[in-house]
Amino acid sequence: MNCRDCVDKLEQYVDRELSDREMRDLKVHLADCPPCEDRYKLQVEFKRLIRTSCCKPENNAPEALRKKLREILF
Amino acid sequence: MSETRKGSEFADEAINHLDSLYRGALRLTRNPEQAQDLVQDTYVRALRYQHSFEAGTNMKAWLFAIMRNLFWDRFKNLHKDDVSLDDVGDFPLYDKLKDSAEIPEAEVLDKLAAGEVVRAIEQLPPLHREVVLLVDVEGFAYKDAAQVLGIPIGTVMSRLHRARQQLQKTLFDYAAESGIVRAVGEAREERSA
Repeated sequence: MNCRDCVDKLEQYVDRELSDREMRDLKVHLADCPPCEDRYKLQVEFKRLIRTSCCKPENNAPEALRKKLREILF
Repeated sequence: MSETRKGSEFADEAINHLDSLYRGALRLTRNPEQAQDLVQDTYVRALRYQHSFEAGTNMKAWLFAIMRNLFWDRFKNLHKDDVSLDDVGDFPLYDKLKDSAEIPEAEVLDKLAAGEVVRAIEQLPPLHREVVLLVDVEGFAYKDAAQVLGIPIGTVMSRLHRARQQLQKTLFDYAAESGIVRAVGEAREERSA
């Protein structure tokens, strides 16, 4: 695998959406290529940042809504 | 299994996804009151159509599909806001930070406030925003996101790619304008002096 192939598949690698074989090939390339490994780490960190920013407790459903829905559902 | 028991299991599982649905609704509507209404209507519809839910399949995806349909029914006019996003390079944040005197990327990301990230997500066109919410925030596999959105997996991947490019560009621009990039660079210089 070369750097271009790696860059093309990096998002799918981070999302765990490649085949087992492709996951292995990309992992081998990352271990040998510091610039691609840097890109990989940044993508992982970026994805984590998006998730944690949106999942702060203040973004949870308000208690009043939960109560109302329990009345509707149960 | 009795109908009552089945209904109660359905309700138990459905309510477990409330925070996820509310987070999604909040980002889609960008308005807490509208988000609450959207979520409530989603559960009312889910309850009405619970017989069509196949036990053992992905209820979170099923609920998101209901919510998404309600959202687009209610906010049809938003389609006109849906612009296509330009290609701004594979990894704009990485590329730009590499051009900024070897500034450590992770330190720049650490300094970005959650509110700023949320704002950048909310600025995305709605059709791109919903893919980021499903895959990056809620952890949906591409195939489940494709099912919720009613689009091919290839379209999920291309929208996700463009959305992430745009987010990285927006956040880098913010980091540069607000002095974060400069501050991180200066701190690094001081450490190495």
